[in-house]
Amino acid sequence: MGAMILFIFYGSILFFILATALRVRRCMKAPIHLHWELYNGSSIYELTNWWAKTHSTFGKKLWSMVLDLLFLREFYHRNRRFWFPLFVFHIGLYLLIFWHAWLFIRSVVGGIETVSILGWVWGTFSTLLTFIGGFLIFIRRMTDEELKLYYPPIHYVKWIFLLLTLVGGVIAVDIHFHSSMPALLKYVREQVTFADFEHKLQPSLMPAFHVLFASVWLIYLPFGHVFQLFFRYYHFLRWDDVPYVKGSEIERRMKEHLERLVTWSAPHIQSGKRWKEVASELQQTPVTGPK
Amino acid sequence: MATEKKKNRLKDISLRTDAPLVTVAADDLMPLPPPLDQQEKRDPYSSLSENQKKSYECSLDGVSALALPKPKSKEEEEKLVERFLRGLEKLLSQKDNWLFWQPLMQSLESCVRCQTCSDACPVYVSSGNQEIYRPTYKSEILRRIINKYIKKRGKIITKLMGDDIELNWPVVARLAELAYRCSLCRRCAQRCPLGSDNGLIGRELRKLFSQEMGIAPKELHDSGTVQQLRVGASTGISSAAFQGMVDFMEDEIEEKWGKRIKIPVDKEGADILLIHNSGEFMSWIENPVAFAILFEAGGMSWTLSSEIYGFEATNYGTWYDDVQFARISLKQVEVAKKLKVKKMVMGECGHAHKGLIVIADRILLGDMNFPRESFLPLLEELVCGGKLKLDPERNNFPVTLHDPCNFVRLMGIVEPQRRILKKICPQFREMEPHGVENYCCGGGSGFAIMNSMNFKEWRENISSRMKLKQILETFKDVLDPGIRKYVCAPCSNCKGAIRDILSGNDLWEKHSIYYGGLVELVANAMVDMKKPFIEWEWH
Repeated sequence: MGAMILFIFYGSILFFILATALRVRRCMKAPIHLHWELYNGSSIYELTNWWAKTHSTFGKKLWSMVLDLLFLREFYHRNRRFWFPLFVFHIGLYLLIFWHAWLFIRSVVGGIETVSILGWVWGTFSTLLTFIGGFLIFIRRMTDEELKLYYPPIHYVKWIFLLLTLVGGVIAVDIHFHSSMPALLKYVREQVTFADFEHKLQPSLMPAFHVLFASVWLIYLPFGHVFQLFFRYYHFLRWDDVPYVKGSEIERRMKEHLERLVTWSAPHIQSGKRWKEVASELQQTPVTGPK
Repeated sequence: MATEKKKNRLKDISLRTDAPLVTVAADDLMPLPPPLDQQEKRDPYSSLSENQKKSYECSLDGVSALALPKPKSKEEEEKLVERFLRGLEKLLSQKDNWLFWQPLMQSLESCVRCQTCSDACPVYVSSGNQEIYRPTYKSEILRRIINKYIKKRGKIITKLMGDDIELNWPVVARLAELAYRCSLCRRCAQRCPLGSDNGLIGRELRKLFSQEMGIAPKELHDSGTVQQLRVGASTGISSAAFQGMVDFMEDEIEEKWGKRIKIPVDKEGADILLIHNSGEFMSWIENPVAFAILFEAGGMSWTLSSEIYGFEATNYGTWYDDVQFARISLKQVEVAKKLKVKKMVMGECGHAHKGLIVIADRILLGDMNFPRESFLPLLEELVCGGKLKLDPERNNFPVTLHDPCNFVRLMGIVEPQRRILKKICPQFREMEPHGVENYCCGGGSGFAIMNSMNFKEWRENISSRMKLKQILETFKDVLDPGIRKYVCAPCSNCKGAIRDILSGNDLWEKHSIYYGGLVELVANAMVDMKKPFIEWEWH
């Protein structure tokens, strides 16, 4: 049991890092797409000779991303009823993630005994916010006709599991460690520094369960919605895409794509030729209707 | 959020029945404001004839946009389902669908089913919240088919991911029709907090049907892109006919407005090649006429082209087929290169803007990436830069602006048209909502030219209903037929759709609500015209 927990805990961290790296690589290697963005206001196309004008909106995009992620701005403007529980949940979650990062650092930097009680307040407050937000979302998902619609059963399981993980964390900190930050930090230090393996192989049940639950999340996260967000911002999928410039990286990649074979099968396509050939030829047969 | 929703289980899409999943009735429809609130209630579309029902697929909602023939045997059905699956595999493959793979995957994977997008859809709301028209409906069906038949996740996982959908011919046929119940206005995508684009999913479905199975509306394919590639224009206009129209325009300008203008055609080395939607020459010739008057008065160096592909801005491939889209885009640019002009300028055609200026940008490599821009910034320079002598009093009647989705929400050209209208129309008033939040005219993505069986009725009474409501609300204080009103729609397809809803409800005859483009209003404000440019004659 102890060895398994140990394996799952460290293994899940390793898995998280590897799966994340693979996912990011897949995202960055994905073929460049044609322009298909939307606009939330005026664009460079309002100018004559727009191609000769500066087109750098990096700062604006970054700021937009911060507002979206931190305050869930889009939900606030477009679905206020659902925004409130989402906001409470996400703020709690962000605080909780930072708290865990702080725990890891604080456990190895500075004396454990001198830690402030504020560390416990931070952790408890974040957990409470995340729990309340998550619970409200779960209830809303169960009762609101619109939110119930098409919502896959597996996501209800996910929410229950998340709430159980949070409860497990509270039990571990407040019951097993008696709300003692020095005791908690000592435990975290053992994990971070790979120390005291004897102790690790015979873990206490309460922290072990919490670690196990957290490991499951680490395995799931690289496949969750969070990474879709990265995808969206990395490729500017929604707002203000990058125009073509002669001799640019976009041109190089597009040339590669145009060398690809067209594989679609309808008669007017001329399957088997390269994209650059197909797009410049004219032999056409009207082919409407199933053939 | 909308209040009342119609129940419809996703798995019903597999039902083996000829009866439609939904038939929209008069009582379902979104109510209209005065004066149409007192109108006698009638169903939005008529039932197909028994013969049509026997021959064509219409089991989605009793409407046929595609005139899709029913398979003659079980074997044929199975073959078609198999082809659909092969097409779906290609749609999800980076190699086969590199052009739109990224945004498609983003849209398929990031939806959290919050349904925030539903009320953004004019078709869903206008139809009385019919479940089949909900923006997420077709996407969710596709997602579940992918989980079961492409990812092959096994029974338990598939069940946990949602209701099981059995893929059969009725599903394929209903999805084909469903892809043409969304006008690709992408208002739902604008509304989505996570950037899931159900409009794109609709377009990709259309693409699968066209590129893999050869299924597309005749108006878009046979008499659209195929005809354009064969003769140069989707309206079938030949070079000779085009030249004749230009002669006619010159005579018209002299006769009606007392100006003798030589409209430049095929003028090598001009600054601007102006390309119109050829539908303008057929239905609204006053639009290219107004452009000619304004460009000449502004002293522009410009030309039209009589070359094959040079007198047609449309590219219906934008809406349903990447290959046809690429072919037409390249042909259009070749004309400009040959003429040695400095840039191409799109006239009042929304999808031509989005298609050639934006979407085609990355497939036009090297010298083919020819400078292309909208007519709007140029027109703003003419109007607001003092190059034309204008008297706003000549436009002293209520005017409102319809924002074509393609160059407003999908391209970010929002303000020039407003600055122009504020300068020349003292009674300009906005529709609500407007700008990037605008509603589609109901004729987007080819709907305006699709008239198969009862589809035109569906378009006019459901797809365009929200626009009709907006127009009536905008003019609610000036409905008196003694006051002429003008809906400015600077896009050919939008103009067609708006013409049909105004005439279908007698709004010109009874309430003097007229429609037209933007350049017509500018020409109408010119002080040196013998008589007003706008003739207020319904057509």
